[in-house]
Amino acid sequence: MASLRKTSRLFAAARPAVRSNIRSSARGFASVQSSAVPPSPDPEAKTKTFHIYRWNPDEPTSKPRMQSYTLDLNKTGPMMLDALIRIKNEVDPTLTFRRSCREGICGSCAMNIDGVNTLACLCRIPTDTKQETKIYPLPHTYVVKDIVPDLTQFYKQYKSIKPYLQNSTPPPNGKEYLQSKEERKKLDGLYECILCACCSTSCPSYWWNSEEYLGPAVLMQSYRWLADSRDTKNEERKAQLDNSMSLYRCHTILNCSRTCPKGLNPGLAIAEIKKEMAF
Amino acid sequence: MASIVRPTMMQRTCFAAASKRAFSTKLSSSSPAINTSVLSRKAIRNAFTKDAMPSSMRVAAFHASGRRSILPALPQVIQGTANDPAPVPPANPSHGSYHWTFERLISAGLIPLTIAPFAAGSLNPTMDAILCGAILIHSHIGFESIVIDYVPRKRLPKTRVAVWWGLRAATVLVGVGLYEFETNDVGVAEAIKRIWKA
Amino acid sequence: MLAQRAAQQSLRRLAASQPSMLSQMVFRNTMAPLAVSSSVLARRPTSTSTIQTQKLTPADSYEILVAQRKNRPNSPHLQIYKWQITAVMSIMNRFTGSVLSAGFYVFGLSYLVSPLLGWSLDSASMAAAFAAWPVALKVLAKFAVAMPFTFHSFNGVRHLVWDMGKQFTNQQVIRTGLFTTGIATVSALALALFV
Repeated sequence: MASLRKTSRLFAAARPAVRSNIRSSARGFASVQSSAVPPSPDPEAKTKTFHIYRWNPDEPTSKPRMQSYTLDLNKTGPMMLDALIRIKNEVDPTLTFRRSCREGICGSCAMNIDGVNTLACLCRIPTDTKQETKIYPLPHTYVVKDIVPDLTQFYKQYKSIKPYLQNSTPPPNGKEYLQSKEERKKLDGLYECILCACCSTSCPSYWWNSEEYLGPAVLMQSYRWLADSRDTKNEERKAQLDNSMSLYRCHTILNCSRTCPKGLNPGLAIAEIKKEMAF
Repeated sequence: MASIVRPTMMQRTCFAAASKRAFSTKLSSSSPAINTSVLSRKAIRNAFTKDAMPSSMRVAAFHASGRRSILPALPQVIQGTANDPAPVPPANPSHGSYHWTFERLISAGLIPLTIAPFAAGSLNPTMDAILCGAILIHSHIGFESIVIDYVPRKRLPKTRVAVWWGLRAATVLVGVGLYEFETNDVGVAEAIKRIWKA
Repeated sequence: MLAQRAAQQSLRRLAASQPSMLSQMVFRNTMAPLAVSSSVLARRPTSTSTIQTQKLTPADSYEILVAQRKNRPNSPHLQIYKWQITAVMSIMNRFTGSVLSAGFYVFGLSYLVSPLLGWSLDSASMAAAFAAWPVALKVLAKFAVAMPFTFHSFNGVRHLVWDMGKQFTNQQVIRTGLFTTGIATVSALALALFV
């Protein structure tokens, strides 16, 4: 980590931080040069190989490929996101991925790491250096570039369940709708969802029918509003789901609950919706 | 030098592979909309990215993408803008909640019906016929859900209709066959028992 | 460090006040690294002020987006997703159910057409035919039928428990999955060997 910081400071010292097209591209080239030729192999280096899915929209006819990067774990932060950022900073500036908060609250860095969907910022790099890590975009999504998936359909589906409080009567005290502690407790484990789409894109049902099936994340949010004591449009919300595709493509595979990086349980939420809608 | 040559070679092999694929999901490269002048700057960027490939990075063609896959994903098409909600289908409880409840009742009912012949040794003809019918309905619902999952209505409308009605015809014919068996023979549970102990 | 910051700050201020001077500085500073990749330099405009821009209507940019979408590859899914007990048990449930139901359908249809084709599919003759098989083959055939049956039955119970909203934590899902597989195998062996 210390050496990492040193190099970045060196760059800052060498050139003032003025941004222009020429600058940023030239800088990327220079940094590649410096890290591509290591002076001598460090005997204590813990080198680990990362295979990362690459696809460039500027070359639309070329097929996606896997690109390998080797990093010394001693000089890398503990999380997958640290490794990705280091690759982008020091090895290959063309690598593209989403990231923002680096602490598991924004949901930007959702990706498939070693076969399981998770947030790169919450996923430790396995210290076993023999095991090579594979990083893919979220499964069965359309790839914008490298590991950036297009989630437009996911957000459109989220919008279709009307994820906001619907209540036609004004609050009795004229200010706000009140809840008892028990009523509020029903929302625990539902409202924490950050919509990273890890669960939906882990669900085989959603892979095959993502146009019509809503998927675990959106259904859990649907239940979050069904379970809310202040919301009065329960019947309308249920009627939206009452067809063969929107809800009932869920076959309780439970990849969703298994993969949730926030430890939530979309499978249970869907089961609760089915229970409420039965009879 | 090698580091500069390798990516271009890789692309060439990729091109060759893509053109050979029978079920390629890619559009042809000469899409007129893409070749507008707005996107012409891509040539500059491409030249740069190729130059910037350092020798420490290995590149491999991506083999896991489905060369043999059945029904590969179609090119992405999104209806409406990103701000329009996805369309909501009309409510249809007989294919939704009623269907689900009925399916669970049949499944739950199969538990005692399956245990009974094990416990009692045999079933009376009425119970045997009920067991037979419940298994038939359970099977039909199971096949139906496989068809809904794997034969998308929008993409394969004709196949979907054919499979759908084929399944219904098969279920009716099997029902008739089992009726014959129930009336002319010893009943399903007893027959399985006799064959099993043979 | 402090000196560096001060230099950067003054540079930024300069950039805000005199953009033309800035562009000259940029050019001088970047000459050295750019010389390496001459192809880039040749195609780039020499000053930031001469970069060509184009006006786009929203309709045009939407057209470009639609065209770009059509080129996007679909990311790998079944091939790369880790086979966890959740998905494995689910697909096995569907597979065993299909095998049993397909057998059921095939028998029903064959029994219906057997009088036309002259097959004897009544229980007595089938039992007699099965009795003539060697013992090892009989046990194997019984296990091949019993295993899907027990697996689908016990996993069906597991699904009904889920439908009541119980046993949903990851630990419980793994535990019930292993338990179901174990009890299905044992009971299938018992049915094949001892019944």
